[in-house]
Amino acid sequence: MHADVALRTESLCLWYGARQVLHEISLSIPALRITALVGPSGCGKSSLLRCLNRLNDEIADSRTTGRIRIGEIDAHAKDTLVHDLRRRVGIVFQRPNPFPLSIHDNVAYGLRLLGIRRRSELDDRVEAALKAVALWNEVVSRLDESALDLSIGQQQRLVVARAIAVEPDILMLDEPGSALDPVSTLRFEELLHELARRHTIVLVTHNMQQAARVSDFTAFLHQGRLVEFGATDALFTNPRERQTEDFITGRYG
Amino acid sequence: MRGALVSAGTALVLAGMLAIPLYLMAGLLPWSGLPADAWSRLAVIFAGTLRAGACAVLVAVPLGVATAMFTAHFCASRLRAWIKPSLEMLEAVPTVVFGLIATTTIAPWLATHVATVLALLVVVPALLLTGGMALGQRVQSYGWLPFWLLPLIVAVVATGAALGAQHDAIAIVPESPWNAVLVGLALGFASMPLVFSVAEDALFLVPRTHTQAAFALGATRWQALVSVLLPAAGSGLMAAALLGLSRCLGETMIVLMASGNTPIAGFDPLAGLRSISADLALGMPEAAAASEPYRSLLLAALLLLVLTLALNCLAEAVRERLRRRMHAVAGA
Amino acid sequence: MGRREGDGKIWLLAGATATGLGVLLCLIGWLAIAGLGAFWPLSVTEMQLRNGSALLGEIVFEDSGVIALRTSEIDRIGVAYRRVPRIDIVSQSQPADAITVVLDDGRRLFGRESTTSAARVFALASRPALEREVQHVNALDRLARMRLFFGNVGRFLATPPTASNLDGGVLPALIDTVVLVLLMSMIVMPLGIATAIHLHEQRSRSTRFVRSAITTLAGIPSIVYGVLGLGLFVHGVGGSIDQWFYADRLPVPTFATGGLLWASLTLALLTVPVVVVSVEEGLARIPAGLRDGSLALGATREETLWRLLLPAARPALLTGLVLAIARAAGAVAPMMLVGVVKLAPTLPIDGDFPFLHPSRQFMHLGFGIYDAALASSDAIRGVPRAYACAALLVAVVVALNLSAILLRHRLRERYRALEY
Repeated sequence: MHADVALRTESLCLWYGARQVLHEISLSIPALRITALVGPSGCGKSSLLRCLNRLNDEIADSRTTGRIRIGEIDAHAKDTLVHDLRRRVGIVFQRPNPFPLSIHDNVAYGLRLLGIRRRSELDDRVEAALKAVALWNEVVSRLDESALDLSIGQQQRLVVARAIAVEPDILMLDEPGSALDPVSTLRFEELLHELARRHTIVLVTHNMQQAARVSDFTAFLHQGRLVEFGATDALFTNPRERQTEDFITGRYG
Repeated sequence: MRGALVSAGTALVLAGMLAIPLYLMAGLLPWSGLPADAWSRLAVIFAGTLRAGACAVLVAVPLGVATAMFTAHFCASRLRAWIKPSLEMLEAVPTVVFGLIATTTIAPWLATHVATVLALLVVVPALLLTGGMALGQRVQSYGWLPFWLLPLIVAVVATGAALGAQHDAIAIVPESPWNAVLVGLALGFASMPLVFSVAEDALFLVPRTHTQAAFALGATRWQALVSVLLPAAGSGLMAAALLGLSRCLGETMIVLMASGNTPIAGFDPLAGLRSISADLALGMPEAAAASEPYRSLLLAALLLLVLTLALNCLAEAVRERLRRRMHAVAGA
Repeated sequence: MGRREGDGKIWLLAGATATGLGVLLCLIGWLAIAGLGAFWPLSVTEMQLRNGSALLGEIVFEDSGVIALRTSEIDRIGVAYRRVPRIDIVSQSQPADAITVVLDDGRRLFGRESTTSAARVFALASRPALEREVQHVNALDRLARMRLFFGNVGRFLATPPTASNLDGGVLPALIDTVVLVLLMSMIVMPLGIATAIHLHEQRSRSTRFVRSAITTLAGIPSIVYGVLGLGLFVHGVGGSIDQWFYADRLPVPTFATGGLLWASLTLALLTVPVVVVSVEEGLARIPAGLRDGSLALGATREETLWRLLLPAARPALLTGLVLAIARAAGAVAPMMLVGVVKLAPTLPIDGDFPFLHPSRQFMHLGFGIYDAALASSDAIRGVPRAYACAALLVAVVVALNLSAILLRHRLRERYRALEY
């Protein structure tokens, strides 16, 4: 593991009420690489993702211990403003969730929160973000139409554009392929490689092939514990743990 | 057999409901034989209805919508589980009880304390604003805020009332102790829960993924409310306001008991008034069937019906649009 | 970095929420105080006035300038109030030997046992009446007053009012309201359930029309329903019935005047939407799996509906009924048009055939509030009486609503396990 570390968790535990969802997760996510989180459903992948930018704060009864460091910042420190933290850690959910606004305003949403008001700057950055997700050519003629009229694949790329428009250090994606058809999924995976040049990417997926195709590193979670973490090639060809092997060979999950 | 019974029941219900407008119109046919002063009288009580309704809406809509925004977006879920049934309970309190309290307890006090009420209407929100700006940073979560603010507000209002009582000189003398302001307060608080529940439904219908996405982009709670939730649920809030207005215009007992029932035209909120609904309640039992006064009362009832029906239809259309749009979003 | 939340504005919203809750708390608290306060036994006060005379009675009102005293009501009820400026009062005392003689028409006479006897106080009454009881309020301790207080509450609930409607209880109004609401329930429940089933089972353009008609009409002011009840039911249908069946009694109307039947029909129309909405919601909440399972076993749609869905939605039916009753109990305005009276001579149910008399006029708890507060000949008795009625009515309505909330909760819990 020679790359710089973009995000590090130390003994991270998460409870929903009395139920412990994550147990002592210690993980270092390398910068400007694609890291996949895999595991059977209910293993805590999505919860871990939501922990990392403190979206779990919005859930009543949730409680965490341990530490999360993003770059040099301690995510749970008293003087850390949650909304500033979240801007550095973008997240894209399973289902595309564009706001019921126009395409332009969807992408400009985060920029406006940053206090950017000048129309020309907004337009430039919207265009850059849409180009980065290869959506620009498809929507350039209808930027003022509702984002809800786009196809699902387009919506998924739009929400990615919305997330990267504010230039987060880390971009997290929660099963981005599950709502897409196979062709759109492949296009989307190509897009991820492009994005990895400028962003650290954390990808949650239940699709082993996708993890093997796309990611540089893979973390395998099982029942809220981190079982194994390493370079994707090594983990898939020569897993150290028995559980990992069972999972990637399809014996359960 | 049972299916036929079901259809017959539905038909009966529908017939009963449609009988209302049909009867009113048929009762007025032919459109002649109205007393000469019917129209001018109708104009006066219509103006009275609007004056009372406007005052009440000014209380009900801001309070109801603000409460809905807080409950749907900022509130701790356990407090929310208390607030909703509590306000449902307030909605269920018969309006005759509001009328009773307004006319026997509040009216004599209000007659000498109009200035105090106006001052409190300015002071309380100003205190909240400054208090929030001064102390808000230290408060980590907003979930239980109303719980702490309740005693504070009660204390401020009580001190204000005590201070107002000390000054013997009455700054503003109302034309009548039963006036539009009194009606507005009582009717406003009575219809606030209706506005609240419609607005809260609309806000809660917005999928959580929307606010989640806004948070993920670094929006604060307030920004998420203003930039995502309000635009998405805007038509629902509009519907809440419309339904609140419709309710305020048609309510009878509070107006009957607290308005003085004097047919006075004009816009003075401190003068008495007579509304259509109160006019019907007072005049209808005494008017002989098919007599001239009876027909002019029917005309007033028809006006009230058309007015509220129009508002309700508009609100229903707006809500239906919101529902369909939210369905499209959630099902995408 | 470091933008702040809109703190002040959030406090404003929280303040509005607190205000709403505060209004509810104040309302219930004030009703409890004013409503129950009406039953608390008042001490008998003796005043020596500057002009040498003395007054004996109960203090019913005081402020910084004057004291109002109820003195012996020798002639009629509600006419013996004396407003005494404070400056005219030399001394005030509450003699332990003071007695209150309460007559059965509600009049109260005061005396002191050291100078006169209860019999002589009673003999003061210029208009004959029966003596109900003699109270020694001043000599009672707190516990004994409490007993008197509960006796007063009991009498309020369990006796009819006196002829003046200023004293006595509200039992007939209570019975009339209950009979009215029961009649309404018997009309509204079958209709409402049928409509809800129709809406639930049929999915066509016509059901959309029916549904929007019902939701829009639910918002029509209740007074308009009253106008309909008076015009269509009383004058229209009632007038025809009189012409056909009671022609020999005309021009004295039998059904062509406000009465229980027309009032309950009007209330039924008013509450149909409540029942339809809650029953339909209950039917919709039953998981599709349950219904599909029944259909898969070879049951017809109709069998599934009657054997499975309706029994499963029973709590929803009950919720609808309870909410309809709560709404009906509070609907006073339309009742004023269709036959409510301040004092009905007879109950709508009695031992005479056919036992239920749907054409009779009736009393109503909610109307009693309006009448006692605004149309009473003795405001000092009327207003506390109105508050007592209001406390009773609100207690009933709140209890009904609470049970509806609990029912709805139970229904939701029951099917949570089946949802995925």
